[in-house]
Amino acid sequence: MRIAATDMTLHWRPDFEQLVDEHQAMVFSLALRMTADRGLAEEIAQDVFMQLDRHLARIESAAHACFWLRRVTMSRSADALRRRKVRGIDLWVEIDDHHGAELHQSASPLAVRVEQMLATLPESQRAALVLRYQEDLTPDEIAATLNAPVATVKSHLQRGLKLLRAKAESHLKEFVRGA
Amino acid sequence: MSDFEPSDFENDLRQSLRRVPAPQGLKAKILQQRRRQRAQTHPFPWQRLAASLLLTAVVAGGYALRQREERREGEQARQQVLTALRITGRALNQMNAQLAAHDREP
Repeated sequence: MRIAATDMTLHWRPDFEQLVDEHQAMVFSLALRMTADRGLAEEIAQDVFMQLDRHLARIESAAHACFWLRRVTMSRSADALRRRKVRGIDLWVEIDDHHGAELHQSASPLAVRVEQMLATLPESQRAALVLRYQEDLTPDEIAATLNAPVATVKSHLQRGLKLLRAKAESHLKEFVRGA
Repeated sequence: MSDFEPSDFENDLRQSLRRVPAPQGLKAKILQQRRRQRAQTHPFPWQRLAASLLLTAVVAGGYALRQREERREGEQARQQVLTALRITGRALNQMNAQLAAHDREP
């Protein structure tokens, strides 16, 4: 099994256009959910793929490419949020004012509300929840992606989920199953 | 306590947080930006060829000049050695003639 994996790694040739095709939705969605700004998310996605192009020779497999893209996207999104904070922009007020409609194009009403609530969570909890529920990663994989201890990730997941559930209970009565 | 069962809530969350499609034209923008960056870091082939030829000409010219200078200096040194040998030969001949004349004197 190990030999087969090594063999696949040796024969894997990265195709930049194919990687963009396969992962643009993932990269854009992660950036969008972290920043809640379509324009900024698109910029981040472009930057991430440009960085991938420069880094392509060091990508060893399809799985490595996916992991690398997730990691860099999360890191770039965190940088973008920090830059906005430094500039003194209240991101979430801006989202409500300018980007709310754009953010939720063609999404269901429940998804729209969930995303709005997600946007109010602390960045670290939001990151853990997005990787858990958008990307379906395990806490170990999230920890590797965010370069954080597993215990910290588990704590962020639990707290984020608790906070989100509490917000949902008070704001999403109309969506409660069987209500 | 809660209207949401944990699993239901997590399922709803999973459904709500599905990946959204990338904006139309994102791939085209990325590929265009990539072409632009590559053009900046890698000049056109004829520019690279011209730069290579120029560099080769400069290196070859420098090497030829150095060779010529070395040859010139070598020739100069050879002439100096020959001149020194001629002078020495002449001096020896003169000395020889004087000794021969001295031997002939009674």
